[in-house]
Amino acid sequence: MARNFICRCEDATVEDVRRAFEKGYRDLESVKRYTGLGTGPCQGKTCLAIAARELLRLGATPAEVLPFTVRPPLHPTPLAALAAMDPATLSLESGVPVPVPPPAAPRPSAALPAKAKVVIVGGGIMGLGLAYNLCRRGVTDVVLLEKGYLTAGASGRNGGGVRAQWTTPTMIRLARRSLEIGERFASEMGINVWFRRGGYLFLAPTRTQAERIEKNADLHAKHGLRTRILTPLEAKEVVPELDERRFVAASWNPDDAVVFPWPYVWGYAARAEALGAKVLTFTGVTGFERQGSRITAVETDRGRIACEVVVNAAGAWSRDIAALAGVKLPNEPERHEICVTEPLKPWLGPLVSNLGNGLYFSQSLRGEIVGGMGDPNEPHAIDTRSTLRFLARYGRALSECVPAAAGLKVMRQWAGCYDVTPDNNPILGAAGFDNFLQLNGFVGHGFMMAPAVTELMAGWMAGDPPDEIFERFTLDRFAQGDVKGEDFIIG
Amino acid sequence: MPRLPDPRFATDCAITVDGDRVSARRGESVTSALLAAGRPLVSRSPKYHRPRGPFCLSGSCAACLVRVDGQPNVRACETPCRDGLTVESQNALGTAAHDLLRAIDLFTPGGIDHHHIGTWSQLASRITVGASRQLAGLGQLADRVSLPWPAAEEERFDALVVGSGPAGLGAAEALAKAGQRVLVAEKERAAGGRLRCRLDLPRDPPLSWVEQIAGAVGRAGGEVALGAVVLGVWPEEGGALAAMTQRGESPRLRLVRARRVVLASGTWAQPPVFERNDLPGIFGARGLLVALAEDGVVPGERAAVLGAGPEAEAVAARLGAAGMKVELVSGEVARGRGGRRLAALELLDGKTVRCDTLAVATPRMPAAELAREAGAALELDPATGAFRVRAGADGRIADAFWAAGEVTGPIGAAEAVEAGQRAGEAAAHG
Repeated sequence: MARNFICRCEDATVEDVRRAFEKGYRDLESVKRYTGLGTGPCQGKTCLAIAARELLRLGATPAEVLPFTVRPPLHPTPLAALAAMDPATLSLESGVPVPVPPPAAPRPSAALPAKAKVVIVGGGIMGLGLAYNLCRRGVTDVVLLEKGYLTAGASGRNGGGVRAQWTTPTMIRLARRSLEIGERFASEMGINVWFRRGGYLFLAPTRTQAERIEKNADLHAKHGLRTRILTPLEAKEVVPELDERRFVAASWNPDDAVVFPWPYVWGYAARAEALGAKVLTFTGVTGFERQGSRITAVETDRGRIACEVVVNAAGAWSRDIAALAGVKLPNEPERHEICVTEPLKPWLGPLVSNLGNGLYFSQSLRGEIVGGMGDPNEPHAIDTRSTLRFLARYGRALSECVPAAAGLKVMRQWAGCYDVTPDNNPILGAAGFDNFLQLNGFVGHGFMMAPAVTELMAGWMAGDPPDEIFERFTLDRFAQGDVKGEDFIIG
Repeated sequence: MPRLPDPRFATDCAITVDGDRVSARRGESVTSALLAAGRPLVSRSPKYHRPRGPFCLSGSCAACLVRVDGQPNVRACETPCRDGLTVESQNALGTAAHDLLRAIDLFTPGGIDHHHIGTWSQLASRITVGASRQLAGLGQLADRVSLPWPAAEEERFDALVVGSGPAGLGAAEALAKAGQRVLVAEKERAAGGRLRCRLDLPRDPPLSWVEQIAGAVGRAGGEVALGAVVLGVWPEEGGALAAMTQRGESPRLRLVRARRVVLASGTWAQPPVFERNDLPGIFGARGLLVALAEDGVVPGERAAVLGAGPEAEAVAARLGAAGMKVELVSGEVARGRGGRRLAALELLDGKTVRCDTLAVATPRMPAAELAREAGAALELDPATGAFRVRAGADGRIADAFWAAGEVTGPIGAAEAVEAGQRAGEAAAHG
């Protein structure tokens, strides 16, 4: 029995690394995610060098074996220890790692074609979901450009929650469709996404918040959701470890789910490629060629691609991509921090969120508690550094909410960027040019909306009549002053 | 002979391990007590439930996670023994010694591809998700709520030195000499870094030098903090902010602001790669020598030492002097043999080496994490896959940050002292 371990924390073997490499996961960031190596309690201290050596032996370049990003804390640290810090004394400005320009870029996954019918900018779940759904609708001349590795952006950095508990019929409809797709994703796309309907439990710490969830629950009932308003003691039946003194009511929907984000991204990419699309990693967009009201080609750091349609699905970078075409989007990137704890046997069923402070946490299929909370003082900028302030705030918030969690040790923290719009709703459809389509501005819930939205968008691009979302979430709504906002944003 | 016959190493307390009474010395690590008791099998692997035991013996590898007094996922190698301490194995149906889930390993000879298992139908996928959730995770949630930690007070030092090995102490010496208040943060229970192994290589400073530097640091108003585990160092205006947990009877979180930081964080032990390289009985050589020198632990009867060069030879000599039969293995290992403990190594050249202990003295990986957080550039050694921190001649890596010692690549202890002194002087005046 050949068991030749590279990573003991995750039982990842030489064979696992070889398989990943053969599938095209060549750089160490991707190999880490695909095999799990380096994601366990030692955080790569015992496997980084041997993983790099193995990849070099398989034919990886030195640029491809650059170590995966280092993440605090260096040692697993109890939430109680982190909660001992006063967040008010800690700065959002001071984050790590300090960005350093890489000495060389890993090699792109494929050659750059001269032309394509559709060019999608951004290899997150939006772009990849769209590429896959376009192929299914017969539009296979699709090229997707991703400047990093797959899962480098917010699609690889989020908490994996998928919920139907929203505040408008449109969002409820989209989320329910995403839940349906998620339920079948593993068997239809051939890759496990660890979809688990553990439910979502929203805690309302004040009467005002309680009124909000009560109003939402009425709407949910009208649309056939099983949302119920629970008293604190009833909520404790769902999560016995909750401190019931910290909230006055809770909103509970047992059908909401949590998934593992990375394989969603890989699954869409693999199937899109199998159907004819080209997914090019490590290929950055540098500009656009324009003629009158149309974009005629996309310029990249490896050459140009002539095209008929461009889709901007670049998430937090969408504003910058649009700016390259001279189009001004109101989107603003905003960092959101997140962390995981040591893995434990299952004890927490649902994703729990506190509406008072934005705290959310759930237990992943691997047993870790994955959670985060937004910071009201966060400036708008692309910033994926990790702060000590976040650990202090999260440590306090989680151990207040679940006192038994105070002993849980944080293993790794990281950050991703929300793509924030003025009304917390997305921007869809043409902007600036007839053939420059936007698929961005999802404000932290893009991951859960993508399966449904990309299916509708592909249908529309393939000739279906437009869904109401393409009439409602246009860029010009801001000019017309029609900005009734979504207010159920967490994290 | 589980311990050296020296009255210093006599046991004076007992801990409970999966219900068995194990004699121990107060304050030594649980792993020392277990190795002395001939119990290298401490845990089960996460996926295949293979027998596992401590490897690094120094708080980096996480192969020795156990439940201690009701707290899950605690490193045995970082847990001091005291009378009545309760240690339980985790992630096993039964105990680590007898785990029925071992069947997973036996029935999946080709490995488990977690991406594709159960994806053939929606029902299979649901069952896979349900079963995986139950099987995943290591320990159970803690039995009781932990007490709040005391509020962290900010402390200010002129300089922070991470690591108290030759380079760290060299830097601390230079900083103290320049009148700087230095905090030396050492995650282990004793200062000295690799000097604690007593390799006694030519030009190695004696252990008494460690005490001498600690004294000088104290006289300059500084501190050598033992059991101070740095969690991260965040660069900020005019220096850096470090967070560290201070271990001890009543643990606390320390928030340290320092104008200068010298990273002398050393290296992490790296396991060798061969078939069944995870058998209990395979250890990082340095961790093993510290357990031998400080706790008198003799880990078995026959040891193989993997590696070449003066350090590997010194490791073999130390284990030999402790009464073990020792063989130095410099060829490539094909596979390990044994069930619950290493029994032999098969080499690529066909030779078999009988041993119950393997001390791994091959190159280690620079502990570059903190330097990388501060923005240091790295250099790859393609032979080992190790990345070392690229530092200037005086050790500078970024504003307010210096690095010295093995974190910058292989370097002898005496040279590391000098590199540390250069970095310390530059930091004092930079």
